[in-house]
Amino acid sequence: MNKVHVKLLMMAAVASLLFSNSIVAQVNPYAPKTILPPEPRAAHVVISQGPELEIARANLAIIRWTTNNPGGTDVHYGIVHYGTNPNDLSQTAKNPIHLNRSHPDTTFRVRIDGLSPQTTYYYTVASEEATGTNDGVKSGVKQFSTQ
Amino acid sequence: MTRRRLTTISVVVLCVVALCMSVGGRKVSAQSAAPAAAPAAEPIYNPYPPGILPSNLASELARVLRETDSIEAEAIKQWHAIPAPVVSGQPPILQNTGVPLVEILGKLMNYDRTISPNENKACASCHMPYAGFSGPIPSVNLTMIAYPSSAPYRAAKRTAQRYTYSSYFPPLQYNATQGLFFGGNFWDSRATGYLLRTPDGEQSQFPPVDPDEMANPDTACIAYKLSLRPYKSLFEEIWGAGSLSSITWPADVASICATPEGAAVFGSNSQPLTLSPADRTLATNDYDHWAESLSAFEHSLSISPFTSKFDAYLKGSATLTADEAAGYALFRGKGNCNSCHLDGRSTAPTPPPPDGKNPTGEDTGTAADVTPVFTCFGSANEGLPKNPRVAFYYETTPDSLGFTPNPGGFTYTDFGLGTFLRSGFGSAPNPNSSWTKYASSVDGQMQVMTARDVAMVPPQCKSTEAPGPYFQKEFFHNGYIKSLKQLVHFYNTRDVYPFTVQSGECPAGTVEKVNCWPVPEVSANVDMTTGMLGLTDTEENQIVAFLQTLTDGYTTPYPDIGTYTGACMSGGSASTQGNSTIISAQKLQELLNKP
Repeated sequence: MNKVHVKLLMMAAVASLLFSNSIVAQVNPYAPKTILPPEPRAAHVVISQGPELEIARANLAIIRWTTNNPGGTDVHYGIVHYGTNPNDLSQTAKNPIHLNRSHPDTTFRVRIDGLSPQTTYYYTVASEEATGTNDGVKSGVKQFSTQ
Repeated sequence: MTRRRLTTISVVVLCVVALCMSVGGRKVSAQSAAPAAAPAAEPIYNPYPPGILPSNLASELARVLRETDSIEAEAIKQWHAIPAPVVSGQPPILQNTGVPLVEILGKLMNYDRTISPNENKACASCHMPYAGFSGPIPSVNLTMIAYPSSAPYRAAKRTAQRYTYSSYFPPLQYNATQGLFFGGNFWDSRATGYLLRTPDGEQSQFPPVDPDEMANPDTACIAYKLSLRPYKSLFEEIWGAGSLSSITWPADVASICATPEGAAVFGSNSQPLTLSPADRTLATNDYDHWAESLSAFEHSLSISPFTSKFDAYLKGSATLTADEAAGYALFRGKGNCNSCHLDGRSTAPTPPPPDGKNPTGEDTGTAADVTPVFTCFGSANEGLPKNPRVAFYYETTPDSLGFTPNPGGFTYTDFGLGTFLRSGFGSAPNPNSSWTKYASSVDGQMQVMTARDVAMVPPQCKSTEAPGPYFQKEFFHNGYIKSLKQLVHFYNTRDVYPFTVQSGECPAGTVEKVNCWPVPEVSANVDMTTGMLGLTDTEENQIVAFLQTLTDGYTTPYPDIGTYTGACMSGGSASTQGNSTIISAQKLQELLNKP
């Protein structure tokens, strides 16, 4: 048996091993896969969409925005600071949402009641854990008008 | 007459009555029978505008009493069929039959209307098996929401919660890591379990002395009434010889315990029975045993048996239909239902390590928990509108006993868990002042009930949903929602069709509960996980189909499910089911003021 034959036999053996492993991988119901842990607390929570007006009525509005999943407590609060003067956003509305633990994104929605009809409001948004730890989200001042 | 002779006569009389009930009970129509209980001593309290009380209330209450009497008579037979236990071991255990005995004791208590002052209201009067141990009267579910007190017709403010799986809730606790409350019983979690460590047990200690429910004036009245019952010997066999019979009762015990709580004669005295300190302690311990026995019943296979089609599916012995399977996928997907009604999924498999490494895996979609109870044990404000049909809003004047259930009238706002943490009106004292600071963050929150058995109905009525035949139920804490279709549609579209109006005032061109949702009763803390889910009409129906797989009794018959002797309803649409009974608060006020 010359060296070429030896090499060919060795390659066949390796290929056979690889092939058999792949077969095992296809049929073994216990094939190792990746655990999906809860989303870790994000180092930076960044808005990827919005904030924007979801719906407005005469006396209420809903603001929504999407961020990367902030992680942390299961319940987070979306927060809207608002007012009729862009330099005085002293009123606050906040609502809880449940995180979808393994989703990359989280959509916050905040309902603002007690608004005046046909009025323009200015607002910024933020979010925090149920324990009160702020997510550090920053948004520019935006506006909406009630009906 | 000796006590033993009196007991024997009582048993004979009860058996004769029970035999009559069991022979004739199911043949009697809901509308025709005479009340099974003696009329209350006091006049009917009716401060309500027209439309609050259903027209068939008296006959329906009588119907339920016949049903509860019939089940209790059967329960006495079931008790006598259980062999006596053998007391053995250290600590002593009621070997062999201790479990069935304490469960049947709880069952006997549950169906015993003599516990109430007017002997007209058992626990089961608001919690019958065919309704998943929730409200058994369709017309009440459509109108006044809460069930009448033993002092007719005082009424409380919320729907009767299902017993099913209530025993699985842990004692109320604030989880500082998650910043959330978990556990307790009742919509507002006021049955904390802080002493007995069984919230559903402690839950059973509230209605017997709630002036708007059974209305006993003193907790010791329960021990007194138990001491008169044919199952007293069973109680003492389980909880100790003399626990009932050694109490010396004052001469006026019968008259005091026959007078509903709230009567002016009691003033602010919550212990009008004069007992020695030792007897007071015995009676208090008996009331704890009342709670523990009822908890045993609620935890038993008679109430929480894990026998639904979904359980069979988890076992691999049943296949979901296409709609049910689609509904299940939506329940844990687009519908986001399982963010609160946890279904036990999304746990990674733990395979044997073929290569010596630590096992790893991913969510294969296989349920890890084969007995999920479909709740997170938490609370949420889903933004339900105020329901002006709730009788409580109109109880602003004193009844003949001098008791005014709700002096605030329509201004009363149900803040749920928030009210409880403040020890507020309509709730109970909060036993942990360190919780009070969280009250504003949980205002409006109500307990996340198990989704199990939400669709349970009498077999002949088949469904909760119009056009039926169906059994009219009420959903959420204030009964605003009347069908599962409406329930899912509410979660789906609450924020798509929001209107700043009250129920009964939706603008022209809209249909309430279809494309008009009135303003939430409590606007703070509304959970925004849901409200705009983007489900199609078909997808809503598929979630309803899935919810119906959570009804116990698929693998084995549900005990006492066939005891409903009332009528089923039919016609109409699940989307607008009950809408004909909507009356605005303004209209109700006008009716109230009408001479």
